[in-house]
Amino acid sequence: MTAQTRPKKKETQQASSGIRRRKFVDFIATGVVTTGGIAVILSILAILVFIGLETVPLFQSVKSELTSSFILRESPELSSYSLETTDDKKFPFIATGLEEYRETGFVVTQDGLLTFLSLKDGKTIKQYPLTKLEGSTITSSFVSENNKLYSFGTNEGFILPVTTDYKIDFVGDKRIITPEITEGDLFKVFDAPLDIIAYEESSEEDVSAAAAYTSARDLLFVALVASDEDDFSLEADEPTPQTFNLTDQLNESVVTTIELDKAIENLFVGTDNGKIFHWDVSDRENPEFVRAVDATDNPNVAITALAFLLGDRSLLVGDQDGNVSVWFEVPDPSSPTGDVLTRIHRLSPLELPITNITASARDRGFIASDEGGNINLYHATSGQMLKEFKTDGSSVQKLSFAPKSNGVLAIDNKGKMYNWYVDNPHPETNIKTLFGKVWYEGYKKPEYVWQSTGGTDEFEPKLSLTPLAFGTLKGALYALFFAIPISIFAAICVSQFMHPSLRNTIKPIIEIMAALPTVVLGFLAGLWLAPIIEKIIPAVFTLPIVLTLFTILTVLIWQYVPKGVKGRLRVGTELFILVPVIILGVLVSLWLNGPIEDFMFGGSYKEWFYSVLGLQYDQRNSLIVGFAMGFAVIPIIFTISEDALSSVPKHLEAGSLALGANRWQTAIRVILPTASPGIFSAVMIGLGRAIGETMIVLMATGNTPIMDWNLFNGFRALSANIAVEIPEAPHGGTLYRVLFLAALLLFFFTFFINTAAEVVRQRLRKKYGQL
Amino acid sequence: MNKFWKSGDPFVWLTGVALMFSLLMIAGLLWLIMAKGLGFFWPTEVTEFELKNGTKVMGEITAHQEIRGISGKAEKEARYRTQLKIGNRDLYGLDFRWIDDDQIVSASEPKYAVVMERREWGNFYGFIKEISEGGNVLCQGNEECWSKLEQDIPVYAGIFKEIRKIEKGDIGGINREIESYRLKIKGVELKNGDQAQIKEYKAKIALEEEKYRQKEKELEVLYQEFTKEKVVMLSIDGREKEMALGNIVLAFRPNTMSWFQKAGLYLHRAWGFVSDEPREANTEGGVFPAIFGTIMMVLIMSIVVLPFGVLAALYLKEYAKQGTLVRIVRICVNNLAGVPSIVFGVFAVGFFIYGVGASIDSFFFSEALPNPTFGTGGILWASLTLALLTVPVVIVATEEGLAAVSQEIRHGSLALGATKFETTWKIVIPSAMPAILTGLILAIARATGEVAPLMITGVVKLAPQLPVDGYFPYVHLERKFMHLGFHIYDVGFQSPNVEAAKPMVFTTALLLILIVIVLNLTAIVVRNRLKKKYTTSAV
Repeated sequence: MTAQTRPKKKETQQASSGIRRRKFVDFIATGVVTTGGIAVILSILAILVFIGLETVPLFQSVKSELTSSFILRESPELSSYSLETTDDKKFPFIATGLEEYRETGFVVTQDGLLTFLSLKDGKTIKQYPLTKLEGSTITSSFVSENNKLYSFGTNEGFILPVTTDYKIDFVGDKRIITPEITEGDLFKVFDAPLDIIAYEESSEEDVSAAAAYTSARDLLFVALVASDEDDFSLEADEPTPQTFNLTDQLNESVVTTIELDKAIENLFVGTDNGKIFHWDVSDRENPEFVRAVDATDNPNVAITALAFLLGDRSLLVGDQDGNVSVWFEVPDPSSPTGDVLTRIHRLSPLELPITNITASARDRGFIASDEGGNINLYHATSGQMLKEFKTDGSSVQKLSFAPKSNGVLAIDNKGKMYNWYVDNPHPETNIKTLFGKVWYEGYKKPEYVWQSTGGTDEFEPKLSLTPLAFGTLKGALYALFFAIPISIFAAICVSQFMHPSLRNTIKPIIEIMAALPTVVLGFLAGLWLAPIIEKIIPAVFTLPIVLTLFTILTVLIWQYVPKGVKGRLRVGTELFILVPVIILGVLVSLWLNGPIEDFMFGGSYKEWFYSVLGLQYDQRNSLIVGFAMGFAVIPIIFTISEDALSSVPKHLEAGSLALGANRWQTAIRVILPTASPGIFSAVMIGLGRAIGETMIVLMATGNTPIMDWNLFNGFRALSANIAVEIPEAPHGGTLYRVLFLAALLLFFFTFFINTAAEVVRQRLRKKYGQL
Repeated sequence: MNKFWKSGDPFVWLTGVALMFSLLMIAGLLWLIMAKGLGFFWPTEVTEFELKNGTKVMGEITAHQEIRGISGKAEKEARYRTQLKIGNRDLYGLDFRWIDDDQIVSASEPKYAVVMERREWGNFYGFIKEISEGGNVLCQGNEECWSKLEQDIPVYAGIFKEIRKIEKGDIGGINREIESYRLKIKGVELKNGDQAQIKEYKAKIALEEEKYRQKEKELEVLYQEFTKEKVVMLSIDGREKEMALGNIVLAFRPNTMSWFQKAGLYLHRAWGFVSDEPREANTEGGVFPAIFGTIMMVLIMSIVVLPFGVLAALYLKEYAKQGTLVRIVRICVNNLAGVPSIVFGVFAVGFFIYGVGASIDSFFFSEALPNPTFGTGGILWASLTLALLTVPVVIVATEEGLAAVSQEIRHGSLALGATKFETTWKIVIPSAMPAILTGLILAIARATGEVAPLMITGVVKLAPQLPVDGYFPYVHLERKFMHLGFHIYDVGFQSPNVEAAKPMVFTTALLLILIVIVLNLTAIVVRNRLKKKYTTSAV
C-alpha cells in the first residue's frame, strides 16, 4: 500500500509544485503586463506634461531675494562721510556699480575717492583716489555705460570720465576678481560748478561729447572730436573741446536731467515744467534744436529722470509724480522731421518723484526708484511691472542694474547699500506679448509680429504666436475648403450610388493615398505645381464651372443610351464615363485660359489682381497649400465619412425609396442627416491633420509670418515654424520655450478636435444601434 | 427637362465628378512621379542646335514651352522655347539653357557625342579629342579613344574604390583609434592624472600616426595612378577640356546606342542610384546612405515599438478592469495618433536630447565634453521619437486583434486549467498575431514617410559615416543619419542647383512612395487574410 501511495504522493507533490510554479509565472506576468502597460500609457501621456513644464518658466513671476545689505559708513574707510544733510546735493555717495558675478561693487564719494567693496559684507577691498580730481569736489555724475563708464562733473566746471574694469582669474575653482580703474581725459566745460551732466564716448567713431547744466543755469554741449590730421605725434590726438551754449532754446525752463545717446546723435533734456527738449547733435559742429515735447500730464510736474533703453532708441522718462513711461520716435508725415517723439507705454507708477532710471544691458528691462524708497523692475516692451523692491530709507539715492541683469544695487538716503538677486530669465514674455498686439520699437503702431532673430545684439526678439496660429488656421481652412466638397461628395457617391464590389476596390486605393508621405506632396506642390498654377490661374477658377456644364451635358446624353447597354453595367460603373469627361474639361479650361486672361483680366491676371483688388501674387501661396494639404486630407475625410454613410441602417434607405423618393433625395434627405455626426467627426479629424501638417506648409509656402486672408499670399504655420527654428534655439532660452509653447498649442488644438470627433463618433455608433 | 432635374441624376453625377476627380488626382500624381522618376535613368539623345548667330549648342532637351512676357502676358503669336541641359558646368557655369525656337537654324544628333558623368562638375557633353598619359598621346579621335575609354573606366572605378576604402576604412579607423586614445588621456587626466598611463596612450597615438603616414603614402601612389591618364574633350563650341580618366564615373554615346544597350545602361544607372553614395552636395550619385538610414531607423523603431505597444494593448484589453477610466485612456491613446508629429519632435528635443542625452554624456562620455555624444540629435533619438509617434497605431491594432479573439476560446483554455498568462501567451496572442503585425506594418509605413520630427532629432543632409560599420561597437546609435524623406526636402529646397537636382528628387520620391505603398499593401493583405481566417473559424 505504502509502496503504491508513495509515488502517487510524489506525483501530486510534483504536480502541485508545477502548479505553484505556473501560478508564480502567472503572477509575475500579470505584474509585468500591468506595470509595463501602465508605464507605457503614462509615459505617452507624460509627453503633454513634459512639454507643458518646459513652457512654465515663461509665465513665472520674477523671483528675487536680498543677498546682502549693510550700512556703508560702518566700513572704517567710509565712516568719515556725514549723512547729516537733507540737501541731495550734499549726499556723499555719488555713484555706484558692480561686476557681473555680483561679488564686488564700488561707491564714489564726493571728494573723488573710488572705493571697491565686497558686496557680501561691505568690507573695503581697495580705494583709488581719482588723481585728476584732486582738490575739487564732485557735483554731478553720469552713468554712460552701466557699471563700466562713469563720468563726474566738478565744482570747477570739469568733467572726468572713469572706466572701471575687473580682471577675473581662476585659481583652481576659486574666482579672484581684481578691480581696475582707468581715468579718462579731464576736460573743461564752463567756469561754474556743473549741476547735471551727461557724457558719452562713441564706440564707432573717435568722438566723445558731453552736455552739462551749470549752477549758473547754462546748458552747454561740448563735442570732443579727434582731429583728422594725419599727425602721428601723440599730442595731436588730444581733441579740442568745442562748446555750444544751448540755454536760449530752453525758454527759461530749468533743466532737471540730461540724457545723451551712445552714438552721440540725440540730446534729450528734461525740465521742471515737464518738457523734453530734443537736439539733434549728429553734426557735432552744429547742434540743431528739434523740438520740445510736453512729457507730463501737467506742466507743473517736473521730469526727474531720463534714460535710454538698450539700443538707445527708446527714452525712459520718470517724473515728479512718480510716473514712468517709454517714449520713442514714430514716423509721422505731419512732422517736419518725419518723426515725432511719442509716449508708447505708460508703466504702473511709483509713488513719489523718480530719482533714478537704469536700463538693463541685456534686454528691454529697466529699474526705476523713487524718493519713497521704492524700486520697481519693469519691462518696457511688454509694459509690465515685474517686481517691486523696498528699501528702509525714505529715498533711493543711487541705483545700479547688474551687468547680467540678475541683480539690483541701491543706496538709500541713510547710506545703506542693498544688493538684491533677481531671477528673471524670460522678462519679455507674458500672455499679452505672446498673443496680443505689441508696440515694438521702430513700429508705427502695435502689431502682431514674429521675428525671432535679428542682426545685432541689441535686436529685440518679437515673439507673437498670433500670426503663426493665424497661418496654421489659414492653411487648414483653405485645405478643408478644397477637400470637404470633394471628399464628402465622393463618399456619398461610393456609399450610395455604387455597387459594393466597386466600392471594395475604390476604397483601398483612396486609403493608400492617405499613406503618401507628405514630404512628397510638399515637394510636388512647391516645385512642380506652384510654377504651373502660376501660369493658369484663370483656368483653375473656370474648371469647376466647365466641369459642372460638362457633367450635365453628359447626363443629358446618357439618357439616350439604350437601356440594354445600361442594364448590363453594375450600378455606378457608368460614372467612369466621367473620367474622359473630366480630362476633356481640364483641357478645355486650359484652352480657355489664354482667352479668359486676355478678355477678363486685360492680358495679365497678376496686374489685374494688383491694380483692381490690391492683391500681390506669390508663387508659393495659400492656394497651392490648399491643393496639396487638401490632397492629404481628402482620403481621411473620405474614409471616415464613407464608413459613417454606409453604416446607416439599410431599412431607412429602403423605406425612403419605397415612399417614392428618388435616390438623390434618399441620399441627401435621409442618409446624410443620419450620418452627419460621422461626417462632422471626419471633418474634425481632417482639420486636426491639416493643423498639424508640417512638411507641406514648410515646402509649399514662402513661410512669411504675415496676417491676411489673401489666397495668393503665403503664411507661416506653427508647425513649420517649430521645424525651422528649434534647431537654432538655445536650450532653455526664451525662443526655445516659446517654441515649446507653440507645440503645446498644436497638441491642444488637435487633441481636443480629435476627442470631440471621437465622442461624436461613439454617440453615432450608439444611435445606429437604436435605429 | 423638369423631369430630368427631378430624377436627381445630375446631382448623382456631380458626386461622381468628385469621386472621379480624386481618383484622377491619385492616378495623375502616381503617373507624374513614375514618368519623371523612372525617366531619370534613361539615356536621352544628345541634340545639337545650330543657332542663327552662328554658334552651336549641344545637350539633352529637357523642356519645351511657350514664351511669355515679363508680366506673364501671352504674346500675340505663340513663340516657343526649348530648354537644353548643356552640362559642362566648369565651362559654362550653368547646367541649363533656354533657347528660343526661332533662333534655331537646324537640329541634329551627332553620332560621336559623348555624355560623361563625372565625380565633379556634373555631366560633360562633347567629343573626344585624345587620350594622353604624361604628355604622350595614346590615341586620337572619337572611334579609337572610345574603345579605350570603355576599357579604362571600369579599371579606374576599381582604383577609386580602393582609394575610398583606404580613405574611409583604413584612415578613418586610424583616426578613430587616435581619437579614442586622446579621449582616454583626457579621461585619465580628469580622474587621477596617472602619468604612466598617459605616456602609454601617447605612445600608442604615435604608433597610429606612423600607420597613418604609411597609408597616406599608399594613397599618394594610388592618386598618381588615378590621375595618370587624361582625356581631352572638345565641347561643341570648340573649347578643349582636359580631365583625368579617374574623374569619369560613366561615359556613353546615347546617339549610337541601340534600345537594348540603353535598357542595359538604364538598369546600370538605376542600380547605381540605390547602391552609390551621393555626389556634388547630394544632387548627383546615389542615395544608398539615405536608404540605409531610413531602414535602420525603422528597424530600431520596430524593436522598441512592438513590445511596448503590445504590452500596453494587453494591459488595456486583458488585464485592466474595464471601466470609464480605461475608456478614457483608450480615447486618449487613439487621439495621440492624431497629434502632429512635430509635437513629438519637440518633445524628443527637450526630453531625449537635452534631458536623457545630456545626462548620458555627463556620466559616460564626460571626457568628450563639451562635444556632445548623445546630447545631440542621433539615430537612436529619431527612432525613439518615431516609436512614440507610432505606438498608438500598434496599441489600437493589437487591441482590435485581441478583441477579435472569441471569448469561447479563452474560456475553453481557462477551463482546461491554463493560467491567465498561459491562455494569453499560447492562445490569445498567436490568434491576434496577424493584427499585431498589421499594426506594426502600419506603424512602419507611417514612420517611413515621416520627416518633420526627424529634421530636429538627428537627420542630416550628408552623414559622413553610416550608423553601422566595422568598428567596435559596430552599431553607433549616437550618429546622425540620412533619410529618404529628408533627402527630398533637402535636395529639392535647399540645394544650390535645384533645377539640376529635380529629376533626382522625383526618383527619390518614387522610391519612397514605392516603399510606403508596398508596406501598406502588405498590411491590407494581412488584414484581409485575418478577416478571412476569423470568418472561416466562426463557421
